[in-house]
Amino acid sequence: MTDALDAARWVPAEHSRAPLPSSTDVLVIGGGIAGTAMAYYLAKSGVEVTLVERGELNREASGTNSGSFHLQLAIHQLSGQGAEADRERLLGEARLSLEAYAVWQELGDELDGSLDVHQTGGWMVAETPGELQTLRDKYELEQRAGIETEVVTGAELRRRAPYLSETVIGATYCPIEGHANPLVVAPLYALRAVEHGALIRTRTEVLSIEVNRAKGRRFTVHTDAGPIDANRVVDCAGAWCGETAAMVGLRLPVRSEGLHVNVTEPRPHLLTPMVQHIGRRLTLKQTEQNTFIIGGGWPTPEAPRPRRYPTSWHSAAGSTAVAVSVVPALADVRVVRTWSGVIVFTDDFSPVVGESALVPGFHACVASTGFTFSPLLARRLAEQMISPASASPFPERYSLDRATVGTLRMEKS
Amino acid sequence: MPVSDPSTDLLVVGGGPAGISAARSAAAAGMNVVLADERPTLGGQIYKQPGPGFTVTDPAAMDGQFRYGRSLIDSLDGSGVDVRLRTSVVAVEGRRVFLVTDGSAARELTARRLVLAPGAHDRPVAFPGWTLPGVITAGGLQTLAKTQRVLPGERTLFAGSGPVALAFPAQLGHYGADIVTALEAGPAPRPGDFLRIARAARGNAVLLRDAARYRAMLLRQRIPLRYGRIVVRAEGDGRVERVVHAAVDADWRVIAGTEETVEVDVLCVGYGFVASLELMRLAGCDFDYQEDLGGHVVRRDEWHRTSVDGVYAAGDGAGVEGSFVAIDEGHIAGLAAAMDAGAMSEKDAAAASAAARRRLARRRALNAATKRLYRVGPGIFELPADDTVICRCEAVRRRDLAPAIASTDDINLVKAYTRAGMGPCQGRICQRQVSALIARHHGRPVEDVALATPRMPVRPVPIGALADPSIESPTLFLSGETTGADDTAPPEVTEP
Repeated sequence: MTDALDAARWVPAEHSRAPLPSSTDVLVIGGGIAGTAMAYYLAKSGVEVTLVERGELNREASGTNSGSFHLQLAIHQLSGQGAEADRERLLGEARLSLEAYAVWQELGDELDGSLDVHQTGGWMVAETPGELQTLRDKYELEQRAGIETEVVTGAELRRRAPYLSETVIGATYCPIEGHANPLVVAPLYALRAVEHGALIRTRTEVLSIEVNRAKGRRFTVHTDAGPIDANRVVDCAGAWCGETAAMVGLRLPVRSEGLHVNVTEPRPHLLTPMVQHIGRRLTLKQTEQNTFIIGGGWPTPEAPRPRRYPTSWHSAAGSTAVAVSVVPALADVRVVRTWSGVIVFTDDFSPVVGESALVPGFHACVASTGFTFSPLLARRLAEQMISPASASPFPERYSLDRATVGTLRMEKS
Repeated sequence: MPVSDPSTDLLVVGGGPAGISAARSAAAAGMNVVLADERPTLGGQIYKQPGPGFTVTDPAAMDGQFRYGRSLIDSLDGSGVDVRLRTSVVAVEGRRVFLVTDGSAARELTARRLVLAPGAHDRPVAFPGWTLPGVITAGGLQTLAKTQRVLPGERTLFAGSGPVALAFPAQLGHYGADIVTALEAGPAPRPGDFLRIARAARGNAVLLRDAARYRAMLLRQRIPLRYGRIVVRAEGDGRVERVVHAAVDADWRVIAGTEETVEVDVLCVGYGFVASLELMRLAGCDFDYQEDLGGHVVRRDEWHRTSVDGVYAAGDGAGVEGSFVAIDEGHIAGLAAAMDAGAMSEKDAAAASAAARRRLARRRALNAATKRLYRVGPGIFELPADDTVICRCEAVRRRDLAPAIASTDDINLVKAYTRAGMGPCQGRICQRQVSALIARHHGRPVEDVALATPRMPVRPVPIGALADPSIESPTLFLSGETTGADDTAPPEVTEP
């Protein structure tokens, strides 16, 4: 096994298909970026940890998102800007994103591998006076949050972004936006976790969780590969985290959505920064392979597991229309493939992370737009689990119990 | 900008023998039929017509295959079939089908029924040197000869198997190619084989006469046909200069010490064909596995209905059995679509299909008789060396694939780790090779290795043709509602 690991670039099948142990200190549920990061940070500190994943590692949102780091405040987060509490929450989230980005900057060194982290800068464009005003409001908020952006218009914009269409009347530029390769991050976390002694078991599905009242391990987790006792459980099941939490009676304030992404053939280099739109749904970037990835939150129809969400012509036609109206040079570039992934997001945009007070020992690490945030949140949750006294707690609004408590109150009234 | 078409009773995809035949039969029963083919002319690969700029001034001077194809194509005249050439069907979502015609915007068509007759493509085979200029597939060389009337190179080695190994060298010789040697991977026929073939001869006179004619052509052109040998590698500085071939056992595994080197500048490779599955997979059809019919083969009933309601499959795309079978299968699928639509009674459909079914039974008897000779051996997928390119689009070598394959038997994950299969061909060339490597590493039969998740578009589509500015951006994350809610596509199937 050691020899196999030395040579491995990914966790070898002999490891991930081995039998499930009968007990563990921490059981992590879910093999996406949050789960593999949890396993890594815990194992690195010497905690006994086992990760179970019902499919293969990194096959859902962690590996099917397009790897962007969105630091500019997106339009959907501005929806509640009227209320001061919302603004404060938004500012908190913006500061957290800067912290998360700092983790990414050092992650390649930490994991001793190339994650293709590139700081490319990013535009967010406006095509109407109303949109431009929203950009200016956004800019004000970003200044307060410490996110470096600037509003660029007119000849200056033409000079700096000649590829943008004449219909773009203004844009904000954020120099620190960028992307990483989502296909390698979680698998590399997993390999390093295993090197530190974590056990990773794929094709192992959690069926139910028993909370033990008696002494001994607090949880007995029943899987299709047999039961495993655990002192602590960390729910990192992404879009399906609510189902896992429901097994111990918790209700998480999360919903999921299938998203459609298009990728084109490679073309000569045109676009260094990412391009987003303040009023329409667009995330556009040119990759290291010189292909263009076009997404931005276009929906796909649902499909029950084990089917994968299908892609959608409607979303392909709609998303590419936004892209080509913003960057007209894309018109003759051919789309060669589409894909879809299921993402999780919380109703209040705050992550669900920490330990439940209602079910002690049950933890979760789930973020809206988790690709950017998961390394940071997993690292901080691991720190709390390792030395609760010295680690700083998460804000109350991240609580696992916030929706469950709300439900209980509603039931009483 | 997509334009919505009126709906049609039946869309036939593919203008080869199966598609033409299906369209003709359904139209004759009174159905409203659209026939789409991505090529500039009808006829498919087998009856490929000369390309634009060529005019056939004397049909009698062309070969018999050309003339037969021409008559099949001409039989669509006056049939009422709406033929759309240079038109690719790039996506299927339930009854909604999306078509792209060269140079214009995508069109949406609602097809109440769908006959898929997409045909087949060369069985992809990778060996050291297969990406060198001068290595060409049988299909590719045939296309050059038929549409452009040109041949590459001076001296050609043909390496292949099955009926193709006889027909191609003979046909190419006819077009003026200098075929140095033809290699057939399968065994030389024995008296027992001839006996079995003779017993199955009834109704197959044309096929057997063709086979005899091709054999005679090879003899006349002094092209040696050597059985039980496959190509092992191609070598050369910047292009093919030499090819090494070797004798193989019954599983097509190389017998050590039998290598021979031949100096040629063209290597034509034709190890049979595999069905084009993309549209059937997007439509959600079920599949079985039969290597000799091309690997994954769509599951059908006796009326060529697939497992998806309203979707039929015919011809080489539903199992590679050649053009005669394709014509009869297309006819049956066309009748079935008409019958299921109520345009024809079951009794009439049964009567109209009886002759085709008799011919199919006889042809399948002949196929059974030649099974020993034409069986595809797994050794043909075991030739790549460590540095052999497996995925040409993304330049992924066998050694790049090894660590990914050591970690999983899931081809989707191997694709994610290595990019193999992410390029413009969407894995049509490399997927079979990657599956073989997975199967070998994990000690499983190749049919147990699930295919990668199918994704549209089936052919690359320019953004200018795909984009539809009339579609409003969805308001995601806010209300839990999505503007794509009218998307009623059935979910695609992912293998367990």
